[in-house]
Amino acid sequence: MDTFEPKITAFVCNWCTYAGADLTGTSRIKYQSNVRVLRLPCTGRIDFMLLAKAFAQGADGVIVSGCHPNDCHYTSGNYHARRRWMVYRGLMDFLGIDVRRVTFSWVSAAEGARWAELVDEVTSRVRELGPYTEYQELALTGVE
Amino acid sequence: MDLKELSRELLAKGDVQAVLGFRRGTGGRRRPAFIRRPEEAANLVFDAGCAQNLAGYLTRREVRRMGRVAVAAGPDTLRAILQLLAERQLKEEEILPLALDAQGQAEALPTAQAVEAHLALQAKAMPTADRELLDRLGAMDRAGRWAFWQDQFSRCMKCYACRNSCPMCYCGHCTMDCNRPQWVPEASHALGNLEYHLVRAMHLAGRCVTCGDCGRACPVGIPVHLLTFHGEEEVRRQFGQGAGTSARLDYALGTFRPDDKETFIR
Amino acid sequence: MAKIGVFTCHCGENIGGTVDCAQVAERSRALPGVVHSVDYKYMCSDPGQTLIKDAIRDQGLTGVVVAACSPRMHEPTFRSAVAEAGLNPYLCEMANLREHCSWVHPKGEATTDKAADLVRVMVEKVRHNTPLQPIRVPVTKRALVLGGGIAGIQAALDIANTGHKVVLVERSPSIGGHMSQLSETFPTLDCSQCILTPRMVEAARHPNITLMTYAELEKLEGFIGNFKATIRRKARQLDEKLCTGCGLCTTKCPQKNIKDEFNEGLGTRPAIYVPFPQAVPNKPVIDKANCTFYKTGKCKVCEKLCPTKAIRFDQEDELVTLDIGAIVLATGFKVMRTDQFPEFGYGEYADVLDGLQFERLASASGPTLGAIRRPSDGQEPETVVFVACSGSRDRAKGVPYCSKVCCMYTAKHAMLYKHKVHHGKAYVFYMDIRSGGKDYDEFVRRAIEEDDVKYIRGRVSRIYREDGKLVVKGADTLQGGAPVEIRADLVVLATAVQSQDGAEALAQKLHVSYDPYKFFAEAHPKLKPVETNTAGIFLAGACQAPRDIPETVAQASGAAAKVAALFSRDELTREPVVAVVNRLPAPEYSWCVGCFLCQSACPYQAIGAEEIRGRDGVLQKTVAQVNPGLCQGCGTCVATCRTKAIDIQGFSNEQVFAELMTL
Repeated sequence: MDTFEPKITAFVCNWCTYAGADLTGTSRIKYQSNVRVLRLPCTGRIDFMLLAKAFAQGADGVIVSGCHPNDCHYTSGNYHARRRWMVYRGLMDFLGIDVRRVTFSWVSAAEGARWAELVDEVTSRVRELGPYTEYQELALTGVE
Repeated sequence: MDLKELSRELLAKGDVQAVLGFRRGTGGRRRPAFIRRPEEAANLVFDAGCAQNLAGYLTRREVRRMGRVAVAAGPDTLRAILQLLAERQLKEEEILPLALDAQGQAEALPTAQAVEAHLALQAKAMPTADRELLDRLGAMDRAGRWAFWQDQFSRCMKCYACRNSCPMCYCGHCTMDCNRPQWVPEASHALGNLEYHLVRAMHLAGRCVTCGDCGRACPVGIPVHLLTFHGEEEVRRQFGQGAGTSARLDYALGTFRPDDKETFIR
Repeated sequence: MAKIGVFTCHCGENIGGTVDCAQVAERSRALPGVVHSVDYKYMCSDPGQTLIKDAIRDQGLTGVVVAACSPRMHEPTFRSAVAEAGLNPYLCEMANLREHCSWVHPKGEATTDKAADLVRVMVEKVRHNTPLQPIRVPVTKRALVLGGGIAGIQAALDIANTGHKVVLVERSPSIGGHMSQLSETFPTLDCSQCILTPRMVEAARHPNITLMTYAELEKLEGFIGNFKATIRRKARQLDEKLCTGCGLCTTKCPQKNIKDEFNEGLGTRPAIYVPFPQAVPNKPVIDKANCTFYKTGKCKVCEKLCPTKAIRFDQEDELVTLDIGAIVLATGFKVMRTDQFPEFGYGEYADVLDGLQFERLASASGPTLGAIRRPSDGQEPETVVFVACSGSRDRAKGVPYCSKVCCMYTAKHAMLYKHKVHHGKAYVFYMDIRSGGKDYDEFVRRAIEEDDVKYIRGRVSRIYREDGKLVVKGADTLQGGAPVEIRADLVVLATAVQSQDGAEALAQKLHVSYDPYKFFAEAHPKLKPVETNTAGIFLAGACQAPRDIPETVAQASGAAAKVAALFSRDELTREPVVAVVNRLPAPEYSWCVGCFLCQSACPYQAIGAEEIRGRDGVLQKTVAQVNPGLCQGCGTCVATCRTKAIDIQGFSNEQVFAELMTL
């Protein structure tokens, strides 16, 4: 029997979370390999549509991560991102999209161990939730 | 002053070159009217049937070319006008809002300040039917809401009437028009419909004046206005900001507070 | 037609040991747009880089993906190599197969799959990359230093010594700042003015420094390398060219009892005055608020007396506009006043002083010529209590932070007192002793062990006056909280260091961020302590946070070095990862609708307006415009824009979309 392996797409900021993930590597801390990281300059750059598109492309879980508030390399990009997520998450939930599959986090460049923990926890959780077929089926309905 | 009289006077004096209001349409309905000559002002009406938000016309090129335009405005239209001023789509001197009360009496509000002061005295309540539906959706579980909206969107044929009726959807090049990259497929199918409504709701968050025109415009009866109403409520609840109270831009998603509180970021 | 080369690195065993690099190279070869795909042991090595350069030349590659370590490691390396081969460096990207893959996953199929995915993502991105040129902005090589204390003086001297012009602006009539008010400095007990005044004179005489005292910044426009600063030179009521600094005018002024700012209210001065004997410039200024002539229309004694007829009652403020390339903010700090302490007398007790007031008492040029005397009756105090942490570390007073310098100057004050009044008793009420600098702890120990200053660990709850004494009620927590009562003759409160008056308004003029206490914000707390978020504006000294003299001088030199780096070229080159608003032919001109929601989202004020006019000059549309000199490339505007009119080079919508859609 094929055990389901979730597909996790991560949108991270270059200065904090990407660097933190680099530190995870330098420290040789192991975590599950389901995640694919996309690098962006800042969480402020993360268009909300990217999350929806990630699901449409077959992601079962999405991680969005950046610098802790007050530490943004660009001063306030993460504050704008936070606001955007506060509204977007509410809207996704209102439409019935499974927000348990979306994880927002602040991971700094020094938190290598935390990144590994986060990825493992999200991967395990999404594995339990199962494939997000409900959403992925939408792409197959109707004319493309 | 009576709306018809006021309009006639404004046109006769040349204070405005057009008055945008309503006239009787077919089947007891009302339709927008552009009055250019003083004698035509007699055709203007304003009653419960005049629910459409006329502010959307003010940003159209053809309307701007008419000159200075007076517009018969209920509270929704006034709020939309303030938000359009804040977003620099209108200039104060190009328009003249004529605020209307329940008796059809009009008051000219020539400045943004006058509009703000007028609106400050009005209470704003959501229509009962909408409130009930929003509450019912809020009480459902996630699967229930998904089923509800998928059912609704299955009827969506991407006519874009909702977008076209919205005064805040004035963008000449809408996200939907973008094909490099093609964010959202234009045709009607389940994924594209969901994505379109999601995008529109987000683009209106913090900008919607809750006039409800989008829901009224939908030919297949999808309550799309609930999406933007939900967004407006959320923004107001979480950030204390919203559209249509001031001609000074206060866009919730363009500003922030270092201590914005949320419960879900790890 | 894309012709992309993929170069997969083994990095020795670092990647090769876990990821099947040959397979990754194989799979990459099959990707659309890829014409060349190889793997190699060490891509960053010379032969490795040569492989890339040769392939670019031989195959006419239009893009390169190096699948190796983190781009944070070697992106500059590979971009230089690619540039050397004649390909635009921004057409080279890296896939992170090491830190994000081989180092964190076990050897196996899943890991190789992930590696192949990561390469595919970057290939898709590169297919949409466009060649970018670094942005060039011209630089005016003149610096503006705001603030003439030790920070400003040091920065001005350092910049001037690199050969560039500096304008030093100080709002009070003389440079010198708080350091000129100090008597002796820790930990060496150097006379403060003795070490400062040579610098002050040097700054005044330096050929590259233009000194503008009694002047303030009125307005600032422009951006890095190209600022326009308008300075208001307030009227001294003096023709400075004629004035010789003889001081005769100050001796005959009928208004003699104005509370003296330099002596922190402990002394008096006339209405026409020089702030202190060593003032630079040593020229007087008329205090119009207190001058008899300005108040009643009668007097002008000074004008009659002046031997060179230098006094000008009709002089007006002058506005001067200067072209400036860089700005150093060195506006310093102020101390909390004793009237903020209801528990210590609301500032009503003449013998309860703050630290700066005590400095003036101890100073040889002060109101008592250096003798420690009670302000109330001029008597020498037998018992002095020093209260550390007055106002600092106290949320109730709105100052939760530590003011850093008070532990040291309290020890210094106690020592100075003991040196002048040998039989006197000195007590210090403290919470902690923070003496972390070089020779600092030894200094405090000296106060305790050699000068017999009694340190009591505990706070003071109340001070009140009784029979001519000040009753200080505190506690000794090292004695189990036992109450302590001392009948003192003089009390010195080490009050909190706060941001300078007018700091907030100045920050807003300059678009510099500040913290809740109105201290100016640095660009990054660890790695960019002298830069602000506003390109071209640098920080020096206590305007950023409480600090002592050695740190201030160091930071001022650091800021000067940044300015010198900026001025070392005629043009400023910056990474072109900046936002751009799209432009199209008429009649659309741009997708931008001019709503300017992006403008409020930009942390750097980099978005302005552009009026697009037709050939007939008629305004067609007002759209947003990004100043590439200011934009730092965060992309927040891009995510805010509804019409997708604004996009960021290097992380464009197309690029990110392509990366995502290939997963």
